[in-house]
Amino acid sequence: MGEERRRFEETFLPYLDAAYNLARWIVQHDQDAQDVVQETYLRAFKGYHGFRGGNGRAWLLTIVRNTAYNWLNRHAADEKLVPYEEEKHAEIVSFNESTKEIVSEKVKEHLQSALGRLPTEFREIIILYEIEGLSYKELALALGVPPGTVMSRLSRARRRLQQEFAQVRSSEAANGL
Amino acid sequence: MDCDEARQLLDAYADGELDLTRQLEMEAHLAGCPACKEEAERIASFSLLLRTNMELYKAPRNLKSKIRSTLRKEAEPAWLFANARPLAYAFAALVLGFALAWTWLTFYQNKDQELVTEAISNHARSLMVSHLVDCRSGDQQTVKPWFNGKVDYSPPVVDLTPAGYTLVGGRVDILEKRPVAVVVYQRGKQVINLFIWPATRRKVDLDVQSERGYQFCGWNQAGLNYLCISEISGDELEKFEDQLREHVSL
Repeated sequence: MGEERRRFEETFLPYLDAAYNLARWIVQHDQDAQDVVQETYLRAFKGYHGFRGGNGRAWLLTIVRNTAYNWLNRHAADEKLVPYEEEKHAEIVSFNESTKEIVSEKVKEHLQSALGRLPTEFREIIILYEIEGLSYKELALALGVPPGTVMSRLSRARRRLQQEFAQVRSSEAANGL
Repeated sequence: MDCDEARQLLDAYADGELDLTRQLEMEAHLAGCPACKEEAERIASFSLLLRTNMELYKAPRNLKSKIRSTLRKEAEPAWLFANARPLAYAFAALVLGFALAWTWLTFYQNKDQELVTEAISNHARSLMVSHLVDCRSGDQQTVKPWFNGKVDYSPPVVDLTPAGYTLVGGRVDILEKRPVAVVVYQRGKQVINLFIWPATRRKVDLDVQSERGYQFCGWNQAGLNYLCISEISGDELEKFEDQLREHVSL
């Protein structure tokens, strides 16, 4: 048992930051994210027999994601879980600046708050794809949706993030005036 | 491929997730559609912006050690720790039970031991100083009334002559600091001292045993304790007990 635990720790503790980052983005609270991550590792360890090698990172993050959602369901309904309806929120604020133009100290901060304004299902797919580099196939497994949904959801998530980013920046600019 | 279809697939194209057929179709479309091409570039550049500027949350320092200790606990033998709390209670109850039983047993064994030792001394003394009986009579009708006024209860005095136990008489002795009735029987040349007293404080229950060459046994019946001591064999003492119990219960 001790040897199995050590092997598990060697494999999965290197993903601790990734696990925490994802949990933090889903539940949006430090202590809660820590609890989610702890529970994740416990669940992962219990289910270690079911891990058949392959992408350990994707496997662990899938558990983080499920644990975080359980957590959200347990702790009061999060209104952000309500599916986002783009048509109703349609705002033509597009991302029109090129990468070069927006290199500024504030970019990180703006991205951060833009991402925070997204619905949970958009936040998580952005993190899992852009940051954690899961493939569409792995995303489909992690999110429990068909590959077609992965494609459209990621696409919508990006468009929405661009909108929020542009909004954050323009309101910042307006305040700065 | 037209623009509508292309727009649906642009993200997947930018991510390199299109299958080969679709990818070729997309490339053909983009070659002839600047608008879609621009959109594809925007997607790619935003993705790049995101990847290079996204601030990631780092796990707090102590989280790793917390997880390690959680896992260590989990890795312990499951039967021991899965239900640690109820098990601990059960264990505590068991220990307490044992302690009580032990106390009870030793306390009462000591009590019994004291009683037997005292009764044996009485028995031995009764033989030594030829002070066996205060009332010598083989007649139960004489012995039984003799106890009236000497003890505050009425000990049964039964005639066991047919069974081979001759009634010798009665005596009052001291046992556990109180006067008790002793009915004396004889089998051959051996004397049997039968101590009888009310079982108010506790009930005597002793199987036939031997000590210092004497056999003894005790029981309680109808609110009285009986303790008999003799040099006759254990088997014979047991028979004596059986006979007596039978007569008393009549």
